Amino acid sequence: MDRMLYIAMSGAKEVALSQANNANNLANANTDGFKQDFNEFRAMHVEGPGWNSRAYALDERSGTDFTPGPIKVTGRDLDVVTKENGFFAVRAPDGSEALTRSASLHITPQGDLVDTKGDPILNEGGSPVNIPPAKSVAIGSDGTISFLPADSKTNIMVTLDQLRLVEPDIKNLQKGLDGYVRNTGANLDQANIKVTSGALESSNVNTVEALTNMIELSRKYEMQIKMMSTSKAHAQKSDSLLSLN
Amino acid sequence: MERALYVAKTGLEGQSFRLAAISNNIANANTYGFKSGRAEFEDLMYQNVRQPGAQATQNEENTLPSGLQLGTGTKAIGVQKIFTQGNAMITNNQLDVMIQGKGFLRALDQNGNVLYTRDGSLQVNQNGDLVTSSGYLIDPNINIPQNVTEVTISSDGQVSGKQPGNIAPTVLGQLELSTFINPAGLESVGQNFYKETLASGTPQDKNPETDEAGSILQGSLEASNVNTVEQLVSMIEAQRTYEMNSKVVSAADGMMKYLNNNV
Repeated sequence: MDRMLYIAMSGAKEVALSQANNANNLANANTDGFKQDFNEFRAMHVEGPGWNSRAYALDERSGTDFTPGPIKVTGRDLDVVTKENGFFAVRAPDGSEALTRSASLHITPQGDLVDTKGDPILNEGGSPVNIPPAKSVAIGSDGTISFLPADSKTNIMVTLDQLRLVEPDIKNLQKGLDGYVRNTGANLDQANIKVTSGALESSNVNTVEALTNMIELSRKYEMQIKMMSTSKAHAQKSDSLLSLN
Repeated sequence: MERALYVAKTGLEGQSFRLAAISNNIANANTYGFKSGRAEFEDLMYQNVRQPGAQATQNEENTLPSGLQLGTGTKAIGVQKIFTQGNAMITNNQLDVMIQGKGFLRALDQNGNVLYTRDGSLQVNQNGDLVTSSGYLIDPNINIPQNVTEVTISSDGQVSGKQPGNIAPTVLGQLELSTFINPAGLESVGQNFYKETLASGTPQDKNPETDEAGSILQGSLEASNVNTVEQLVSMIEAQRTYEMNSKVVSAADGMMKYLNNNV
């Protein structure tokens, strides 16, 4: 049996994995705040006695693309998005601090400020924000949360809290298995970041790139299969070398 | 079976869900008191195909720096209602009221369940009781006798009318409003009505012009707050994303077909 069959097989298998990653990017082309995942192949040499002739392919998620997605204006007070390299902090279900660039917030019956998944958004001190009964809530350009108390007779907003805003080094950010982005570097201090309310950041998936990628991966897959059938032909030929007729 | 196929399936489902939400908004672009809904998505779990830090070779220093985590697609979390104020439509009808603020009118259905609405196109039934356009009694009940002319509803919700022989108008009742801390958590039950849920919090009943309930404007109705331009743009986006995901389905299908035909 020709060993090339296994090399080609590993190629086909890894391309299929990469295609799945690409499909995930496209499936989330409309998920607000989604960041697309990079995917790359690496050659893995098989080391051992003899000629170093075999290199298997290995598909990796080498990282996530943190470039900002397009901003879409929604006009809703509690839709917020950060500018530059800033991030908000939310408390992930496992209790750790996750980062996000945009959040569509709402207020629970208990007055907690949470995002669409129900995770509390954190204030400057790193704890959840609670808002007393209010006529209206506004988020300022530096993340200040102010509200108009429900029993207020005037139009004077009361300052309540400030959202936690951080500016991590993009290299230290990692997307976990639960889809939350976390900072793996040192603890981050409150940063001076601009916040815009009434807008959301849409997904940063580059659909053109993803579709082109999809075509490329499909064709690469077919090439690997072609190599597999070539190896089949080789094997058939060598089997028939010593046949008597 | 092909992973990409299933991931693309979640994309297709998500976009058709989004289109359903958009078409409901557009269908209700002219419904009084309607609040537009926005479909919201999250990415699904990621699977660890290769653990970062796994041994790449026999050599201990040779580990995989990043591994391979594959996402499994997208999921619609739900449709979030956006409770911004709609425009005032002047109708000059004396029983049309519009709420300028966060309050809801209360009505009782045939079984006595409390429903909440922003649609203030009120009418009277055969007994002279004030009802919503679907015939449900307004709570608290307000009766308008047959001989009353010129009903006036003040901005703080007091309903009064002129009766023959009286110079001063007679007070017939008081409209009440209910507010919720999280109106987006209300359950829409159709016919412009909402029901209280755990997520909405308990209703706070109060008179108009107290706290955040808002004031009553007689002779106008609140138009729907659907921004049709935004809806049409979202529709284009949803349609194109749907097409892209269906392309992924055919690509994955093509890969499998090629494999079956050539090996």
